[in-house]
Amino acid sequence: MKDRIYFAAIEFPDDPNVVGHRYWYICPFEDVEEGDIVLAPLGRHSRLQQGVVREVRYAKDVDAPYPIYLIKYVRDVVKKRQGDYMMYKIIEKRELNPTVTMMEIYAPLVAKKAEPGQFIILRVDENGERIPLTVAGYNRKAGTVKIIFQIVGATTMKLNAKREGECLADFCGPLGCATETDGLKKVCIVGGGVGCAIALPVAQKLHELGCEVHSVIGFRNKDLLILEEEFAAYSSKLTVMTDDGSYGRKGVVTDPLKEALEGGEQYDRIIAIGPLIMMKFVVGAARPFGVPVTVSMNPIMIDGTGMCGGCRLTVGGKTKFACVDGPDFDGYEVDFDEAMERSRMYCDFEAHAREEECNLFKKEVK
Amino acid sequence: MIMAIVPEKHAMPVQDPKVRARNFEEVALGYSENIAVAEAQRCLNCKNKPCVSGCPVNIDIPGFITKVKEGKFEDAYSIISLSSSLPAVCGRVCPQETQCEQKCTLGIKFQPVGIGRLERFVADYHNRNFKGLTSVPVSNGHKVAVIGSGPSGLTCAGDLAKKGYRVTVFEALHLAGGVLVYGIPEFRLPKDIVEKEVENLKAYGVEIMTNVVIGKTLTIDELFEDGFEAVFIGSGAGLPRFMGIPGESLKGVYSANEFLTRSNLMKAYKDGSDTPIMHAKRVAVVGGGNVAMDAARTALRLGAESVHIIYRRSMAELPARKEEVEHAEEEGIVFDILRNPVEIVGYHNADDRRDPKNGFVTGIKVIKCELGEPDEQGRRRPVEIPGSEYIIDVDCVIMSIGTSPNPLIKNTTTGLDVNRRGGIIVEESTGKTSKEGVYAGGDAVTGAATVILAMGAGKTAAKAIDEYISSKQTY
Repeated sequence: MKDRIYFAAIEFPDDPNVVGHRYWYICPFEDVEEGDIVLAPLGRHSRLQQGVVREVRYAKDVDAPYPIYLIKYVRDVVKKRQGDYMMYKIIEKRELNPTVTMMEIYAPLVAKKAEPGQFIILRVDENGERIPLTVAGYNRKAGTVKIIFQIVGATTMKLNAKREGECLADFCGPLGCATETDGLKKVCIVGGGVGCAIALPVAQKLHELGCEVHSVIGFRNKDLLILEEEFAAYSSKLTVMTDDGSYGRKGVVTDPLKEALEGGEQYDRIIAIGPLIMMKFVVGAARPFGVPVTVSMNPIMIDGTGMCGGCRLTVGGKTKFACVDGPDFDGYEVDFDEAMERSRMYCDFEAHAREEECNLFKKEVK
Repeated sequence: MIMAIVPEKHAMPVQDPKVRARNFEEVALGYSENIAVAEAQRCLNCKNKPCVSGCPVNIDIPGFITKVKEGKFEDAYSIISLSSSLPAVCGRVCPQETQCEQKCTLGIKFQPVGIGRLERFVADYHNRNFKGLTSVPVSNGHKVAVIGSGPSGLTCAGDLAKKGYRVTVFEALHLAGGVLVYGIPEFRLPKDIVEKEVENLKAYGVEIMTNVVIGKTLTIDELFEDGFEAVFIGSGAGLPRFMGIPGESLKGVYSANEFLTRSNLMKAYKDGSDTPIMHAKRVAVVGGGNVAMDAARTALRLGAESVHIIYRRSMAELPARKEEVEHAEEEGIVFDILRNPVEIVGYHNADDRRDPKNGFVTGIKVIKCELGEPDEQGRRRPVEIPGSEYIIDVDCVIMSIGTSPNPLIKNTTTGLDVNRRGGIIVEESTGKTSKEGVYAGGDAVTGAATVILAMGAGKTAAKAIDEYISSKQTY
């Protein structure tokens, strides 16, 4: 069958626009049979969508059921006819820079509800810890959720070792409250490092709601830059900052923010997402102008559903729980110094675990 | 023939306190067959059966004890399982001394029959020896959703499944069992026992969906849209309470929920778990309930040299189960009773902001108390003695002073009434809430209580749900 190609006809019963139609695809997975559920790109924008295989056949390219130069590929299989949904399968994995990875995970229940600002809790494997990651995007029709993470500890290292097609043990969400976007007309979004991944869907949603978005995104250097194009698409003004000046402007994110505020920009709100220290300084920069600041907190968490209390923060002098009361809080009220202190609780353990995980450390040096 | 009654309960074989204080294996080892039969023979089989009324799920106690006497342990199990879905669990964690055993006629003159120990024996015997298949009841085609897989949810699910309902249990965590897996430690309730009980329910056709948070992933209204005809909320207690004293945000201050979840659910006590936990040398646990005992004894097993329980009333008022308090004392836990924390003290190096010890707990300041007039519940109120403060040196503080209900379901369900403290309001005899077709029970209603009370509530609700769905059909 070497000269033959495997084709699959797919129906998309969830999509009212194409209901009743079948579309032919090249299917790289030769075990796919009638009745399986797959993800395939649909329409002009080739958005991934969930569909059912109705027919399969082998054919030579000249006998293809659809012109071979136009035909698209089945992206992934998420359910065999006889079997369970392949929950939490990694549909796509891409390195955004050497320390930051993007993954698209099949989790239809989460994808259906997720909103910008919310987070998920995942476990990589059976002995894994539960880690919270903020939603970086979602595709409701395909049932996938996008996460972007920085490799900082043992768990994110393990996560990064997973390949496309493998599954995660658990993926639970969406948790926390969505970022408030109602009634905002002009917003400045400030993203720092991997925090930009969380800021992006907020920028996108605001843009879609007709809000004027100005974005300032900052990184340590050019190599760590992510999502510049995407931010440009949703912002009417974008400033990229690097600490060492290797790309964009040299300096920190508060520099252009201060300039804009001093220049008389009237923002309804500033939304800051990034390292704690960055958010603290954004609040400091905004204070003289009295612009409301929303910050997204990402403390240590276990269950993420309002049971353990590990994610507590002091906000406005009161104990708040990031998992149910947040993760967004009024920046002026958050006790950042305390949050920074608490985030270092397991530093030693993390460093140790990272060394355990990394084989380089296990080698004896002679 | 009249046999002389043995005045005391047959002692429960236990691990030596010195040994067990350093391991996570079960403390109580369970009766052997001989001891169980001998203990069963102490039962007078009296006519009025006061013990049954002391049991929140009304197990036919003399009935199953008679079978144990005769050596028919499987029959005894069948009798218990008519009323209880989780006998191996209840035999271990129920406060029998204030329930069935308190009412035991034998207890008037002697020690009561060891009902809990016998229940545990029967359940363990069944789980060890039963090889047959559970007969799955014929489905009646009605779908019921149960939220939470803790004691109330599992009981409700079990009872309904046995009646032929198609039950789906939604669990927010990655593992079924609720407080039985995240809260109660391995040495008191081994997790394979919970797993076995959950497997038993699955054999009845109960489906368990983990990683689904009702109120977030799905709402109750969506469950009804999906064809569920009734919903039982057994979502348990929620966020831990803190005292509001200075220093509660220092590193080394845990809520009991967090500390126990890390150790029990995430297995942080074992090598190979990715979840970190603090292996503190000196630990203070604030509170006097079962959860406080669990946290204290877990800290000890994680390698603590000294563990203090700080409780503001006296030993007599400790709300924990008696056996747990005794076990804790035997293991060397120090009870600092009549003490109330006023501040948690931390390390602060003013000269070096980057000192890694900064922000960690170094001690807890407590004030001595004495007992004053009884409050409205009849418990004597602790009164602080001015000027009696002192500091206990510790590097970890675990707050175990209760929880407040979880807001997730309340916030996303229209028409569900809750009380001032956030607990769901139900009709006590049925578990019916203000929303049609929605029932609730367990800690989500009462606030922190016991496993068996939650099971009782699950049972009541299952009966009411059955009646509700059957009555709907007739129209």
